[in-house]
Amino acid sequence: MLLLLLALQLPTIAIDQRLAADAKLRVGDVVVVSAKPGGEGDSVRVGAIIGRPADPSEVARSEYRVRMHLESLQSALGYGDRVDRFAVATRDSTATTDALKRINEAAFGFHAHRSRDIAVGTSETFHVVSRFHRAIGVITIVASAIFLLCILLLKVDERRRDVAALRLLGISRASVMRSVVIEAAFIAALGSAAGVGIGWAVSAIVNWHYQSVYRTPLRFSIVTPEIILLAVSLSLVLGIAAGVLAARRLVRTPPLALLGR
Amino acid sequence: MTKPLIAGDAPIVSARDVRRDYPLEGEAVHAVRGVSLDVERGEYVAIVGPSGCGKSTLLNLIGAIDTPSGGTVSIAGRDPSAMSDREVTRFRLEHIGFVFQRFYLMPILSAAENVELPMAERGLDKQERRARVRELLAYVELAGRARHRPTQLSGGEQQRVAIARALANSPDLLLADEPTGELDARTGTDIIALFERLNRDGTTIVVVTHDEQLARAARRVIHMRDGIIVHDEVLRAIA
Amino acid sequence: MRLFLALASLRRHRSRTMLATAGVAIAAALLLDMVMLSGGMRASFGNLLTAQGFQMRLPPRGTLPFDTEATIDGAGEIIAMLRQKSEIIAVSPVLGATVRTTRDEHPVTAFALGIDPSVQGDYRMESGRDATDSSSLVANVEFLHAAGLQLGDTITLAAGYNPQLRAFTGTRALTIAGRARFIYLSTGQPAVAMPLRSLQAMSGHLKDDAVSVFMVRTRPGADVEAIARWIQGTIPRVDAVSTAQALAKVDERLSYFRQLSFILGAVSLIVGFLLTTTLVTVSVNDRVGEIAVMRAIGVSRAHVVHQVLLEGTAISLGGALLGLALGLVTARWLNTILSSFPGLPAAIDFFLFQPRAAWTALGLLVLSGIAAGIYPAWRAASLPVARTLREEAVA
Repeated sequence: MLLLLLALQLPTIAIDQRLAADAKLRVGDVVVVSAKPGGEGDSVRVGAIIGRPADPSEVARSEYRVRMHLESLQSALGYGDRVDRFAVATRDSTATTDALKRINEAAFGFHAHRSRDIAVGTSETFHVVSRFHRAIGVITIVASAIFLLCILLLKVDERRRDVAALRLLGISRASVMRSVVIEAAFIAALGSAAGVGIGWAVSAIVNWHYQSVYRTPLRFSIVTPEIILLAVSLSLVLGIAAGVLAARRLVRTPPLALLGR
Repeated sequence: MTKPLIAGDAPIVSARDVRRDYPLEGEAVHAVRGVSLDVERGEYVAIVGPSGCGKSTLLNLIGAIDTPSGGTVSIAGRDPSAMSDREVTRFRLEHIGFVFQRFYLMPILSAAENVELPMAERGLDKQERRARVRELLAYVELAGRARHRPTQLSGGEQQRVAIARALANSPDLLLADEPTGELDARTGTDIIALFERLNRDGTTIVVVTHDEQLARAARRVIHMRDGIIVHDEVLRAIA
Repeated sequence: MRLFLALASLRRHRSRTMLATAGVAIAAALLLDMVMLSGGMRASFGNLLTAQGFQMRLPPRGTLPFDTEATIDGAGEIIAMLRQKSEIIAVSPVLGATVRTTRDEHPVTAFALGIDPSVQGDYRMESGRDATDSSSLVANVEFLHAAGLQLGDTITLAAGYNPQLRAFTGTRALTIAGRARFIYLSTGQPAVAMPLRSLQAMSGHLKDDAVSVFMVRTRPGADVEAIARWIQGTIPRVDAVSTAQALAKVDERLSYFRQLSFILGAVSLIVGFLLTTTLVTVSVNDRVGEIAVMRAIGVSRAHVVHQVLLEGTAISLGGALLGLALGLVTARWLNTILSSFPGLPAAIDFFLFQPRAAWTALGLLVLSGIAAGIYPAWRAASLPVARTLREEAVA
């Protein structure tokens, strides 16, 4: 009873889910917190277990997070009345601008920044990853265009005897081209639809996998209407273009040459 | 060109009650219905009949390209239906020469290379092959066209190359399916003359044809109708 | 003759063959890049870690080197303990801090390393002399440029700032004795190095004799993992991170790229396979009549199979060789993108050409090209001769 009373009087900390799971801690447990490994520390009580935010910058970091009362941490670190930064909430954007100006005019030893500007600066890593993904995307699109053209050319070429027979019967070049291009468009549309489905499924698998690997609620892959529109438009355009190129080659060749004469 | 003819030898081809059926939409089509015939070494036989009478099918069976549904075919004393695919293929390579209506030369090879192809497959060395190619092309009067591709040759010239190719491995038997079918009358006459020369030189020939002139050039004409032989006449005995 | 026929067959439809080869080349390039990515980071980082011959890093317990501002007190005592181990032949203490100066009233900030010049492994001298006395330092070209200085100049550096007094603290006047290239820093980062005691004094760590990390060199052939375990057990305020463990941690942090490289590599192989098999299948379909005639005149099934397989192999081989050149070019481009990661040491390459891995990958692609020809080759060899001839005649 006395121990329980003593424990209840201890300062509290909040620990993250990962630390709670790995160290098998629960709310109410008493732990010792110190600033240096093996050094003297203060006893505190686990007051809460908090979930990790979906913060991309935290993803690859495996360290644990602990929240303490400011005075407790200052005392543990020997910081005195020192902090690393302040976070300031303002009424609106105009108030932010005004506050920034007044603080920076009067500040000594520190500088005020708009949160958005800090975010831009600290998200450089993700810009690099985005650029990398875009580069891979460009390579994939170029590769896909060549593959599509190659395969459509092969497939259309296979039917050159049919095309020759049609042309010899009097069917016009335009009609033959139309029929080939419609077929290519149909294949491209079917392929696009299948691709959207596959992409959505793969995105779900990617999120499930990386969320469990990095133990984070962050979503690594998002399929948005804009992305779907871009992908479908691109694949339709590529498919139809490949069909047009393949058909043009075929209708330009004289029918007898198509028959090998 | 081939082995010398010797009267009294066993027939080069011996077919007994040969049948060939094809399934077609649940029913059987009887392309060849119980044909029996012998072809002696040195004979020149023409098989004639209306379209669909089974003459090409019979030729394929004689040439071991196809397998009979019933009966037996013996070629040079051997039964191809008892052989494995590899053995039959080798057998065709060494004993049978084929000439087709549409020539079927390899368009990517020259005339000489087309003729060389069966010898290369048989494993003859390069020098021997080249010498034989020269000999064969000279025989079919195409010595000056050795390097030409098929697209650079006329129909008659292509067929002569095809005949030279068929003779490459000195076969026991030369089979021709409508060899003048794609040729004009004049060119066809040249081919007929070539066949006659081949037979005079000892080649055993069986042709399938609609061409009356080609049929009359043969020594023996077999008439077929509806998958059976209706008439077998010898025009000229083997000399 | 078979090779000749195979190549002639490919030449017959030049544009088709070129397009298929281009497709395979792109697949090969992507495959090569992914192979370079999957092994490159690890190899490059490993090379960097062992560049100066140190097999272990000892950061404060629970942290990675320079990952936090935590320090290790009692450096001298720890060094003495480590030197008792006969397998340890050198210990380099390193303190990291940020120092400031001004140029034309604009602040210039630099990363500062406090080192023992006799055993340091953080930089290579390029000109001048090393910082062997308490009043000298070495700097990199980025710092010299930012501060507008050259060798021989004296500069006042500060390690701290007092906001109440609005004054820099921990100042010291130091002479630039030499110019060096810092091995582990990112591109463009200004840096200086000075004797450890100097930086400790400037940053208020002298009393505690604090350092940020130790680098440890072991005798050749020593069991590094065993030494690491001994250190972990003997010195509780440090972690012992061997090169292997550091690489494992890097793998963990960059596992995304490894997995991406595996997936894209597999996709490249599949696409290369599909393209080759499609081309060869169409090529065979085009020539069924020819193939049937070849079989009729006595060409064996094996010959037909060999010829078709040779066609597939030729496309894959041509594509793989082209892809090798293309892959090296695209790898440089992709490496430039990824190398701009903030804080990444300039010496790290994401895409590293390792000949064995590259040839294995391309060899796999060629093998898949051979395999791609198997189905069409089997089809070609299995054609029923008589029926095919009849159908071709009708056609």
